[in-house]
Amino acid sequence: MDERDLELRNLTYGLFVELGRAPSAQEVGERAGASRDEVEASWRRLHDAHALVLNPATLELRMANPFSAVPTAYRVHAGDRWWYANCAWDAFGICAALHSDGRIETSCPDCGEPIAVEVRDERPDDPSLLFHCLVPAERWWADIVFT
Amino acid sequence: MNLFRSEEHIERWLGGRAPGATIPVTTLSDLAHAWWDDRVAPDWRPHTRDGNQAILDRLGLTGPFWRLPG
Repeated sequence: MDERDLELRNLTYGLFVELGRAPSAQEVGERAGASRDEVEASWRRLHDAHALVLNPATLELRMANPFSAVPTAYRVHAGDRWWYANCAWDAFGICAALHSDGRIETSCPDCGEPIAVEVRDERPDDPSLLFHCLVPAERWWADIVFT
Repeated sequence: MNLFRSEEHIERWLGGRAPGATIPVTTLSDLAHAWWDDRVAPDWRPHTRDGNQAILDRLGLTGPFWRLPG
């Protein structure tokens, strides 16, 4: 991962926020003055460096953490848009990354009952909820989609 | 990495699997804001492993479970 990779990574994130969805390699290339092949090669290096996550089958973005490029169980309203987060940690992370209050909607993995959390000034409105992390930190990136 | 209503719901969801770590949602929010705050900054630079570990340590997330790989 070199300086050009970081430049393309930051452009990718900027476009994600601007578009409200994952940009394609073509879209990033057009903005960066780079070819699609150059962007895809850079994304692969960034993936290997855990700076973003690609779908291994398509080489499209799967995660620009904390944002998810695909629908998940964690929906977040922040910055006047709805987003998908990869997990509960990332759901709060979207509010943090956008420097925004927000609303997180999900459901209890046990009973399926809806859970909604308002985030105001970086604080959740229901402090009684609990966060469970199943995988220890040393293995988070062994299978980041499962984590 | 999920939200639950109570310990009872976590235990039932685990269904006999070994538990991971459970923390209050308020700590999670603090963690997320420290961890992701700069993520869409146009001049973002990768966090170091030690920098990330310091965030965990500062929030009391210590011990082997929260130890990042070296």
